[in-house]
Amino acid sequence: MKPILLQGHERSITQIKYNREGDLLFSVAKDTVANVWYSVNGERLGTYNGHTGAVWCVDCDWDTKNVLTGSADNSCRLWDCETGKQLALLNTNSAVRTCGFDFSGNIIMFSTDKQMGYQCYLNFFDLRDPQQIDDNQPYLSVPCSDHKITSAVWGPLGEFVIAGHENGEINQFSAKSGEVLKKIKEHTKQINDIQPSVDLTIFITASKDNSAKLFDSTSLDHIKTFKTERPVNSAAISPIMDHVVMGGGQEAMEVTTTSTRIGKFEARFFHAAYEEEFGRVKGHFGPINCVAFHPDGKSYSSGGEDGYTRIHYFDPQYFDFELEA
Amino acid sequence: MPSIEYDDSKPSWADQVEEEGDEGTLPSPKETIKGNIKTVTEYKIDDDGKKFKIVRTFKIETRKASKAVARRKNWKKFGNSEFDAPGPNVATTTVSDDVFMTFISSKEDLNAQDQDEDPMNKLKGQKIVSCRICKGDHWTTRCPYKDTLGPMQKELAEQLGLSTGDKEKPAGSAEPEPAQPAQSKTGKYVPPSLRDGGTRRGESMQPNRRADDNATIRVTNLSEDTRETDLQELFRPFGSISRIYLAKDKNTGQSKGFAFISFHRREDAARAIAGVSGFGYDHLILNVEWAKPSNN
Repeated sequence: MKPILLQGHERSITQIKYNREGDLLFSVAKDTVANVWYSVNGERLGTYNGHTGAVWCVDCDWDTKNVLTGSADNSCRLWDCETGKQLALLNTNSAVRTCGFDFSGNIIMFSTDKQMGYQCYLNFFDLRDPQQIDDNQPYLSVPCSDHKITSAVWGPLGEFVIAGHENGEINQFSAKSGEVLKKIKEHTKQINDIQPSVDLTIFITASKDNSAKLFDSTSLDHIKTFKTERPVNSAAISPIMDHVVMGGGQEAMEVTTTSTRIGKFEARFFHAAYEEEFGRVKGHFGPINCVAFHPDGKSYSSGGEDGYTRIHYFDPQYFDFELEA
Repeated sequence: MPSIEYDDSKPSWADQVEEEGDEGTLPSPKETIKGNIKTVTEYKIDDDGKKFKIVRTFKIETRKASKAVARRKNWKKFGNSEFDAPGPNVATTTVSDDVFMTFISSKEDLNAQDQDEDPMNKLKGQKIVSCRICKGDHWTTRCPYKDTLGPMQKELAEQLGLSTGDKEKPAGSAEPEPAQPAQSKTGKYVPPSLRDGGTRRGESMQPNRRADDNATIRVTNLSEDTRETDLQELFRPFGSISRIYLAKDKNTGQSKGFAFISFHRREDAARAIAGVSGFGYDHLILNVEWAKPSNN
């Protein structure tokens, strides 16, 4: 396969995300702009300019109308996807680490860092009520005093948010009351990424403790574990195959002291049921910070510490390949 | 994806005469569509006054998409891409080199395992596996009396300590080592040529080398994390070591899984082979044998 190389950022990629149909790919990095690309040919549709700090997270609603970004400039911004105009600016006390639209596209959530004397909050806004945006007053704000949230996604039916914490805990926060519905601790270190399956019934976590795990969204039952020898920065579930892809590598600060050959900067493909690795794809010069599957399962993208995003269309061998058990 | 070819042909004098009338104007861009290949030919004059012909070839693909996706495909570009021409901009989008997914098939793994297992079975048949503690037909690490291994090793070390202490004196007198204490006593600098061993340097160097070779063992199946100090700790109880060579990867500094250990005396080396071969170390079973003399 010939990957399409997207060079829209000057700093390392922090998150990439496809929209629901997968025709657009959003990428954010530690520089200040958010990019949107046509996934089919890698053409850049535009940029969302306005942030003044590293952008940590991005999300797009189901009908690709609005885009949400959270940044270390202590703000969360809502954009018009088509024109790149800023629709709303929500100022916070500390950096915004994670953000997301619920499935209806009406309710947004974002979490802030524990930083500069401020504690970590999980905030909920209802976009149907303009007053909340104007007053910058969330309808629900949940404090998390102990360990900050490092990754979060919406659960099924918009009932709760699944949040991964610095210490490896996973919590379900109700979007109505803010209470913790369920709590587990399967990881021993920070959870770097959480990505749900297409139907939101299961999700995969990527943790600094060198493993990725599959969980049931509602019950938080632990289903599978995928082990590697390096911290896992991101993991995604294939929508059509029983596969997961994981990206990682050693920590960014150690990159300059190791050669690429042993850095394990490849994207690694595991069989979801057998928990066995079956393939690797090389390409990035540094650790992979984020991976995402196209919703049709025929391509995937990865964003790396090297600042590049690569779109890979799978060769036919990938679909023919069967793991002998 | 477009492929761009620059036709860097200098205008010939004949062309120049022809174009003299309309200096500076360029032929208008042409666009031809043949089947599903679109060719766009453009002309450009760069800063040096050179004329360029740019031929872009596009493959036109018609894809069926939902209405929403099709509508989005026609969106106007915005932000930093506002003034980009239709189609991917080379500044931001490039096609990189071919990469392939390297498949790790379990079949290969299984084969590898089979190969690993075969020699093991052979060993079992020949009854080479014998516990050093109870002389049973199992690995020493699996020995039920494994816990007594530690004390046994200590014992061994004590024995060796005694024996090496006895033999140190005669051995020492034969070697050029005592030159150093003598030097420290007088506190005077003694040139190497005047030192004790100096007179017979020629004879002492060569045989020593050979002795080293004779008392060298090869340790394989070491784990990646092994360091020289670990080996030193492991082999010191058997006798004085003259040299430890641990093969390491140039780039990574990680162990390649084997090492050479030279003892001063061949008996120590023999004891080390008997003592450590089959020893479980870092979850791997060590294999220790005589090093084959190197070719050079």
